Amino acid sequence: MKTLRSGGQSWSVEVRRLRGGRVQVAVGGEVFEPDVRTVAPGSFLVRSGGLADVLHCVRDGDAIHLHWRGEVYRLDEEAAGPPRAARHAPGDLEAPMPGTVIRIDVAAGDRVSRGQQLLVVEAMKMENTLRAPRAGVVTAIRAEVGEMVAPGRTLVELEPVEESS
Amino acid sequence: MRLFSKLLVANRGEIAVRVARTCRVMGQPTVAIYSEADRDALHVRECDEAELVGPAEAARSYLDVGAIIDAARRSGADAVHPGYGFLSEDAGFAAAVADAGLTFVGPPAAVHARMGDKRGARRIMAAAGVAVVPGYDGDDQSEERLAAEGERIGWPVMIKPSRGGGGKGMRVVGGPSEFEAALQASRREARSAFGDESVILERFVERPRHVEVQVLADAAGAAVHLLERECSIQRRHQKVIEETPSPALTESLRRELCAAALAAARTAGYLNAGTVEFLLDAEGRFYFLEMNTRLQVEHPITEAVTGFDLVRLQLEIAAGRELSFEQSDVVGRGHALECRIYAEDPHAGDLPSAGRVLAFSAPRGPGIRCDEGVATGSDVPVHYDPLVAKLVTWGSDRNELLERTDDALRRTVVLGVATNLPRLRSIVEHAAFRSGEIHTGFIDEHLRELPRPAPPGAALVAAALAALEGLRGGATSSGGAGAPPDPWSERTGWRLGAERPR
Repeated sequence: MKTLRSGGQSWSVEVRRLRGGRVQVAVGGEVFEPDVRTVAPGSFLVRSGGLADVLHCVRDGDAIHLHWRGEVYRLDEEAAGPPRAARHAPGDLEAPMPGTVIRIDVAAGDRVSRGQQLLVVEAMKMENTLRAPRAGVVTAIRAEVGEMVAPGRTLVELEPVEESS
Repeated sequence: MRLFSKLLVANRGEIAVRVARTCRVMGQPTVAIYSEADRDALHVRECDEAELVGPAEAARSYLDVGAIIDAARRSGADAVHPGYGFLSEDAGFAAAVADAGLTFVGPPAAVHARMGDKRGARRIMAAAGVAVVPGYDGDDQSEERLAAEGERIGWPVMIKPSRGGGGKGMRVVGGPSEFEAALQASRREARSAFGDESVILERFVERPRHVEVQVLADAAGAAVHLLERECSIQRRHQKVIEETPSPALTESLRRELCAAALAAARTAGYLNAGTVEFLLDAEGRFYFLEMNTRLQVEHPITEAVTGFDLVRLQLEIAAGRELSFEQSDVVGRGHALECRIYAEDPHAGDLPSAGRVLAFSAPRGPGIRCDEGVATGSDVPVHYDPLVAKLVTWGSDRNELLERTDDALRRTVVLGVATNLPRLRSIVEHAAFRSGEIHTGFIDEHLRELPRPAPPGAALVAAALAALEGLRGGATSSGGAGAPPDPWSERTGWRLGAERPR
């Protein structure tokens, strides 16, 4: 039994091998016996209700990426046990994409309002302005101008405060 | 037909792959260049040989003239195709290639210098009687002067880097209070992308359409146009979807526009393939915007309706051959569309995404062409343009074209890196797009928010797990009566592998 999450929804799933190479998958209480054949690595022919379509599906660590009928989905597999602790405090600003910090507009101790420009990250030759997700006080700057940053990296630590009008 | 001993393709990504593919057809050997970030890139595999030109940063690899000329010498190449972007419109590069005794596939340095500079180009076109957008193209680049000119032109004003293209560094300024910050940002982006920070100012034309004309000129002085392309669907001044023929042109307006483009090319003393860009306002007046002295990203739609291979024609012209056809031989057949697939997340403010492509699959079928720069396992580096592929579709009429495009977009698979494919589909499916009512603000006006898709249904999760377990399902039991035509939207009452109810 494992848990899969996607877009705020989660399922407990179980895969059972049956005789004759068949497989039964229980997803959140429903039981399926999918007719799935491999056509190429990562591509699978799925027959259902008289229609055939290609499902593209790859695993990358704990993530499962799917392409089905024009939509892309990501499922995150969770091992049994309590969910992992949040990696960062709720007010902190993370790099949303990989890029180079080209400008920092605030310093530790600054009080910032929601939406205020904090820094600019250049990625793929475009400047992307990162703004305060909420009102707060800057407690630390975790990046330098000129530095390459990876997505998810904390750039600015913010202590949330009530927005005063 | 081999025209050169070896052709060095001085670019990366889909355009380098695309040039290599025509060369393979012609029996023309090719040499790729690559940065350290691109060792395993698709374009390196598609060329016959490859030369490392420097580290990941473009300024020290794909923009390093000396390193590229050295690579040409080392490999024994005698011609250079610059692609688009990077050094393709750089007069210094064209001159360096010529000085090294190599053939540059494109116009000579003097033409780049004349037309590649938006300031100079505006002045030349105005002198030749081609209408330009009211603006400022002077040499005084002081902040005070530019702010004063903005005031004179009247807000809102568009700031554009004199050099380069692709929308980089462009800013729309609503009023004087925003001007300084916008100018600085524009200059920073321009310096980083093109190594030059001078700008021009133009009056911002409300709801304009962007229509351009493909031209070709040979060394004997013959020039033809290959009809127009409409490029009004843009995001951050970067083209997203292009179409030909333009739904906005009447036959007489098309004739006028194409004639103006040929006049512009002749005035510029043009050689090889180029594009004259125009703004078309709501009243059907057009203004010269700029001339692109290179192959355009969107050239395949012209190929789709005219049947010509533009890269082949470029190589023939560069080799000194005369055009083998006349204007009357250029006939547009059907409709074509290009969708640019960018590595950016439409559900997260269109921020660029980068990383490894875990799966890539291009659709196939009548009227479908995919020019891709990646394959399964490729990395999309953060250092370069986020264009990963172009989906080019053709139909005998616009309706068939849109049906094919919609289906082809659904069957284009990119996993691991977020792409704008959902955005492209939402545009193509939009009623205003389908009726041809488009302008350069279309995306911001109609499609600012793109809702996140619903999470996958349980049946899909089950199929994915079965697929990953490498197991095969069998025919099953239940399902039965009353199941809806699309089982994926139904949460209960059916089983994968069951008979479709009759």
